[in-house]
Amino acid sequence: MTAQTSTLLAEAETEANQPVQRRSGRWRYIGGKVLGSFGALMFVIVFNFFLFRVIPADPVRTLARNRLVSDKQVEELTRTLGLDQSLPRQFLTYLQNTFSGEFGLSFKYRQPVGEIILDRLWPTLLLVGTSTILATVIGIYLGMVSAWNRGKLVDHMSTGFSLTLYSMPEWWLGLVFLAVFAVGAGPIPKLFPTGGLHSTDVDPTSFAGGLDTAWHLTLPVITLTLAYLAEYSLIMRSSLLDEMGEDYLTTARAKGLRDVYVRRRHATRNALLPTTTLVVLNLGFIVSGAITIETVFSIPGLGLLTTEALEVPDYPVLQGTFLFFSIAVILANLVSNLLYGLLDPRVRL
Amino acid sequence: MVSDRVKRATGGVAAGVLGLTMSWIGVSAPQAASADDPVVFTVGMTNEVDSFNPFLGIEAESFEMWALMYDQLITYSPKDMSPQPGLASDWETSDDGLTWTFTIRDDVKWSDGKPLTSADVAFTLNRILDGGPEAATWGSYLTSVDSITAPDPTTVVMKLSKPNAVLPLLPMPIVPEHIWKNISEEEVKSYANEGEVVGSGPFRYVSGTAGGSTYKFKVNPDYWGPQPKIDEIDYVVYQADDPMVQALKTGEIDFAEDVPPLQLKAIEGEDGIKTVTGASPSFAEIAFNTGSVDVDTGEPIGDPNPAVMDPKFRYALGFAIDRDLLIERAYQGGGEPGDTIIPPAYSQYHYDAPADLKWSYDPDRAAQLLDEAGYKMGDDGKRTMPDGSPIGTLRLLARSESPESLHTMDYFQEWLADLGIDSEVTAMESGKLTNVILDGDFDAFQWGWYVEPDPDSMLSYMTCGQRGNWSDSWYCNPAYDKLYEQQHAELDDAKRAEEVKQMQAILYQDAPYLVTAYDSIGEAYRCDRFEGFVPQPNPGGILLFQYGVRSYEEMYPVTHCGEGQADESASASDGGGLGTGAIVGVGVAALAAVGAVGGILLHRRSTADERE
Repeated sequence: MTAQTSTLLAEAETEANQPVQRRSGRWRYIGGKVLGSFGALMFVIVFNFFLFRVIPADPVRTLARNRLVSDKQVEELTRTLGLDQSLPRQFLTYLQNTFSGEFGLSFKYRQPVGEIILDRLWPTLLLVGTSTILATVIGIYLGMVSAWNRGKLVDHMSTGFSLTLYSMPEWWLGLVFLAVFAVGAGPIPKLFPTGGLHSTDVDPTSFAGGLDTAWHLTLPVITLTLAYLAEYSLIMRSSLLDEMGEDYLTTARAKGLRDVYVRRRHATRNALLPTTTLVVLNLGFIVSGAITIETVFSIPGLGLLTTEALEVPDYPVLQGTFLFFSIAVILANLVSNLLYGLLDPRVRL
Repeated sequence: MVSDRVKRATGGVAAGVLGLTMSWIGVSAPQAASADDPVVFTVGMTNEVDSFNPFLGIEAESFEMWALMYDQLITYSPKDMSPQPGLASDWETSDDGLTWTFTIRDDVKWSDGKPLTSADVAFTLNRILDGGPEAATWGSYLTSVDSITAPDPTTVVMKLSKPNAVLPLLPMPIVPEHIWKNISEEEVKSYANEGEVVGSGPFRYVSGTAGGSTYKFKVNPDYWGPQPKIDEIDYVVYQADDPMVQALKTGEIDFAEDVPPLQLKAIEGEDGIKTVTGASPSFAEIAFNTGSVDVDTGEPIGDPNPAVMDPKFRYALGFAIDRDLLIERAYQGGGEPGDTIIPPAYSQYHYDAPADLKWSYDPDRAAQLLDEAGYKMGDDGKRTMPDGSPIGTLRLLARSESPESLHTMDYFQEWLADLGIDSEVTAMESGKLTNVILDGDFDAFQWGWYVEPDPDSMLSYMTCGQRGNWSDSWYCNPAYDKLYEQQHAELDDAKRAEEVKQMQAILYQDAPYLVTAYDSIGEAYRCDRFEGFVPQPNPGGILLFQYGVRSYEEMYPVTHCGEGQADESASASDGGGLGTGAIVGVGVAALAAVGAVGGILLHRRSTADERE
């Protein structure tokens, strides 16, 4: 993440150093970025097809083992899956499908891949999206407080706290929470369910169902929020610390502004830049899910779908999910590239 | 940048805390008793249903759902899985074995009220006979069947071109013609069979989607068979064993399917929980490359070691394997020592080797047999080929995703070393292993098979014709193949069983496989809520996910453990929760300590860095 941020900064700076005419420069910049993203997308589409076919497992053999005895049965299955066609032919079908917005049928679930991804998307969005938002807000606040009180107890506490959580594997943190709050330990009663997205007997779209889902998601969301927290708080802390040595803050103080005001109006605003980049880039990763947490809390999200598909390997699902993840990341990169130019007045476009 | 360095410093402490927690997952739980109306039976499992369409899915979970939703023509007895009446109340065969006549029950209704007749049966079977995805799944049961007709509403007639001993076993779910005739062969490929499902089985599908995490079923009040004593079944998918076991302890679920041996031990004797280790009809083996060939030309391919191509060498190694130790160490007690490819669960077909041939852990006998076969010990303490050349290093392959596989091969390597034979173990993912096997570039590998109630398919994997397809040992023996053809057409059950045993006797001495273990499946349930499950095979079998749905029909709700059973001594167990509070306390303290250390480290760093 930090590496990405710094390349981004470097790029932005080189762009800024070019003394071209402003207007056309801006459009050239935007056009260039959009074109670049489009290129990346095209590459992903082609690469996707071959990437998963490199896996040494044969989906037909995986699906047929211990079940389909005769050659005829295996042939029927191969034909059903469309794997009897030559590789170039399959590639062509894949391209046609992809560009007409279809991703084919899953080998394992025999359902349209688009539908499966949509089914699995909302648990992931609820889980990872909520956690990311919470971690961003809390993390930025923590980082800000730490930096402003550098060296004081608050700083030590909050930095130590976020670093500890950052260094823990999230699945382990999840297991601990599960054992303590979903099973009950000592004086702590059982407070939350052990897993799943909602109870079996509620309609998830109803109000009660919504509450039930929130209840089920509490532990996993807390786990992920805690795990993600440090990333934001540390970046925010260090960038605010960088700003704190700047002359303009001395100027602001010399003008007689109150400390809180200096922090809020001057220091924080400038310190938010790297954090913004991080947040926008991370938005792209939300959809790829959190495989370990989805496993521990049995949440049927996109991360799990992908790992399960790898076992077969279920080419259409893998192609679909990876294309989807790639689009999200490429879009997030594009947005952060463009945003950076807008937010930082020093980057002249 | 700072974070990276501190992360390393805190890592060790975090690992310590991790160790603590792992040891404490195993806490006793409060017990929520619910005696609501209706009676809901909640089953936890660790794998999803992959399709509710009985022509598409492959997972055991899917087969379980279909068996609840639909009826089968013939089902399996709980005792030994032999065929017993289902929708077909009776059947008979002509003397030449070419005509089978099934009598269909006349009191069966579909859930939409329409009667189930022989036309539905013939429709389903013909659909499979016609090819397509349906045939891919169920075609092997209709080998050499020419036609299936329904001359009247209660009769189905099947004509064959050759006798087929696998009949009358017909485990495919029978689907309603009036629904499925509107689904074309192209549509079947992606037909989900969810929403409004018309079935005839003991339970009715209510909700759930393939790949989803919950499935709901309600009892069928019009079911023709014994009326179940439970009203609803909820299935909940857990993505890891641990949370599932925890859920059983808290009472969120009543039954946990496929619990690993270690987890099972951890909850053994807990209040209100009963654990079962049931025989599963599957085995694990060490297989050899008995001679890989190009199937088309018959030319040898790959590079098997000449030693493993010798049946005498392989048979001798059968005495080098300590199967009891494998069960204890590699399987954590979750299995039984094994020796032939038809597990003893199928008692009528299982071959028991005579005492003088039977493998046991006897390294001296193994050494003696190797000596007799010419594999003499050389001066360097290594055995040589009969011609005096070195054997070289045997390549043993294990499946990286299976700890049992790795452990088995590690032990095997040690036992080989004791006999003066060098070997090396390589682990690889099973997809890759399949390719290596097909290329013949191996000497031995570890894997296993699941064996169906009819031994025919398992026996076929060892025939010459399966080389390059399902055969993984490249075994080929014309005498074995002849017996295979013979048993496949044998209509006399006793004679067929004899032939099946003879085939296993051949395999025993040729030893393409050294069967090491018969797997078992761990199950646990709340005995304070439900009892009366019927094991399959009986005794010693699993309670759910069987062939057939007898357990669901027989089980009943109870209010405390041991109810309705003769001699059930209450198991005393407590203290699981003891000390948990203390450990949590330690954990919290450790966290705080780590936090403080991290804070101080960071403080040092930052002051040093920034006050330059």
